Amino acid sequence: MLKQILCIDDDPITLMLCKKVIAKSEFSNEIITAQNGEEALHHFNTLKYAGSKSNPKKPELIFLDLNMPVMGGWEFLDHFTSYAYSDYNSVNVIVLSSTIDPEDLIKAKKYPIIIDFLSKPITLPMLEYIKKKIDV
Amino acid sequence: MKSKTTQITLIYIIISLFLAVAGHKLLIKYASPEKFYFYNFLKDIFFILATGLIFKYILIQNKKKSIAIFKKLNKTNEEIKESNEKYDIVAKATSDTIWDWKIQEDTISWNKGIENVFGYNPDEVGKTSRWWFDKIHPEDSIRMSIKLYSFIEQKTEKWQDQYRFKCKDGSYKYVLDRGFLLKDENGRAIRMIGAIQDITKQKEEEQRLKLLETVITQSKDSILITEANSEKGKIPKIVYINPAFSQMSGYQSNEIIGKSPNIFRGPKSDSSELKKLLKAIKNEEEFYIETISYTKQKKEYWVRFSMIPIFNSDTKISHWISIQRDITDEKKLETEKEHLIRELTQNNKDLKQFSYITSHNLRAPLSNLIGLLNLIEDIPVENPELDEILSGFSKSTHLLNETINDLVKVIIIKDNPSMQKEEVSLKEVFENVLSQLAFQIELHKPIIKLKFDQTPSLHINKAYIDSILLNLLTNSIKYKSENRKLKITITAEQIDHKAILTFKDNGIGIDLERNRDKVFGLYQRFHNYPDSKGLGLYLVKSQVETMGGTISIDSEVNKGTTFTITFKNQ
Repeated sequence: MLKQILCIDDDPITLMLCKKVIAKSEFSNEIITAQNGEEALHHFNTLKYAGSKSNPKKPELIFLDLNMPVMGGWEFLDHFTSYAYSDYNSVNVIVLSSTIDPEDLIKAKKYPIIIDFLSKPITLPMLEYIKKKIDV
Repeated sequence: MKSKTTQITLIYIIISLFLAVAGHKLLIKYASPEKFYFYNFLKDIFFILATGLIFKYILIQNKKKSIAIFKKLNKTNEEIKESNEKYDIVAKATSDTIWDWKIQEDTISWNKGIENVFGYNPDEVGKTSRWWFDKIHPEDSIRMSIKLYSFIEQKTEKWQDQYRFKCKDGSYKYVLDRGFLLKDENGRAIRMIGAIQDITKQKEEEQRLKLLETVITQSKDSILITEANSEKGKIPKIVYINPAFSQMSGYQSNEIIGKSPNIFRGPKSDSSELKKLLKAIKNEEEFYIETISYTKQKKEYWVRFSMIPIFNSDTKISHWISIQRDITDEKKLETEKEHLIRELTQNNKDLKQFSYITSHNLRAPLSNLIGLLNLIEDIPVENPELDEILSGFSKSTHLLNETINDLVKVIIIKDNPSMQKEEVSLKEVFENVLSQLAFQIELHKPIIKLKFDQTPSLHINKAYIDSILLNLLTNSIKYKSENRKLKITITAEQIDHKAILTFKDNGIGIDLERNRDKVFGLYQRFHNYPDSKGLGLYLVKSQVETMGGTISIDSEVNKGTTFTITFKNQ
């Protein structure tokens, strides 16, 4: 079981679903959420500055939505994969989206950090599949 | 000669008579009668000797004269002979046909040319002028004979004429005939000698050139010819313009010949293009541009302009030819077209983006609904009414989800014209499709005949052909007749560069009279079946067309349906 995962989505119901399904599947101990890319980056910034004092948990997997206000998924990834977040960006990212734009699929292949591109909603079989894939 | 003989005879008689008389007188005066016979004898001897000598002298003189005359005659003879030979040689050597017409006797003779040029054997050539006139083309003969007789009657100085002369094979040759008259001492024409020159080739060439010239004069394209060389920085001077050029530019020949086409340059002309043109002229290269030009009235027009160097046999430029066309209308259309295409492309892009956003925005809450329903499944519901409501809610949600997923499929097919194609084995595709429909196949046990031997594989998108066959097969099973066993025949044939896939069943069919236009339409349903969405054939058609193919249907109610799909397949 993972210790902590991060879900980034602007839709509260999606986040609620994530929490419930993940809780059911015993996929992760803790689920933290962010409503958009900026909020997620903020979380990592906080971790970074608190890093030296205590030893806070790092997310071990990120579920990322693409279409979000303020900062979307792609912009988040562009920041997150930069040197500034080198302490954190070895984590796996799974895109969880409702998009059908083929451009998004093509784009996803350009980010090595993205290990999969899955269609909403999150389900138990999906989590089983991810477990196998990242070998938890 | 006669008079000479008489003269000599007379002289002889006179001298002889004189000697006879003188002898007789001398004998009578001096001779004694007894010696008379003796003297008479002497006188005779003398007489004979004297006349003999005189005779000899005369003969010698005569002979001398004769020899001189003979020599003179001989010389003249030689000269005549030589002259004759020369004539023969010239007559033979010339390619002209020479004729010699004795006008009074009306006999005409021809040299070898009549055979060599026109093909007549000597025995076929007529002896009179009639034969000659008969061979002249009817359209030329009246004009020709009028001119000829007015020459013979010496109303005109010279005679030469062009007409068509008939050959032995019936064809006509263009000839140039020139002749002169021989007159007697009274100045009457007695003989005429002429030479016929075959000018068919020149005439044909002339006609060909005339024809070619019409290309230039009648052309709707403007043509101008310039000199080979020009002053620095200028286009060479114009030597010719055709009428179309005047029409286009407003300049008449006399206004523009001798000037450089630089005068077409105006405020909107492209000076970089002009530089390129001058460079091409310097390098003696062909050149093409499209540029704005100006008429004499300063009206602006678009012209497609070419300059082509013309080289003479020494590979030196003799002229430049420029062909120009007013493409103002074309340009206008092109600009309009480009504008339209840009607009359409943008609209299309916007629409596509709109459809992506819409479907995303529909799918997002829908996926939540499905996720939530998944969660409910694990929670026991006590209230039977609530359970019923929830089950209805679930069914509707899933139906909505299916519909939206189908629409998404359509959107993605339409957006993907350059999908991947690969060599796909039809047999494998079909096995895959059958395994997906295993349950229904087991249930209805249709007779399925596959004829793929002729075209075992197609160069095609695998996912699409999968989907196409799946949809068609599902349709056949869904719309089978209840009265007979379902029979499906699938054939693949190769005709030229086309692969033809035929899919035939014996199901309930579609009334094409009523529905032909709608068969492949979106959300068109022809039978009230509960699980029919009216999307299958629309998807099939979209997929076939995206792969560059065509699909057609043939159907009869209660007999069956045949789909024919054609792909390009090299």
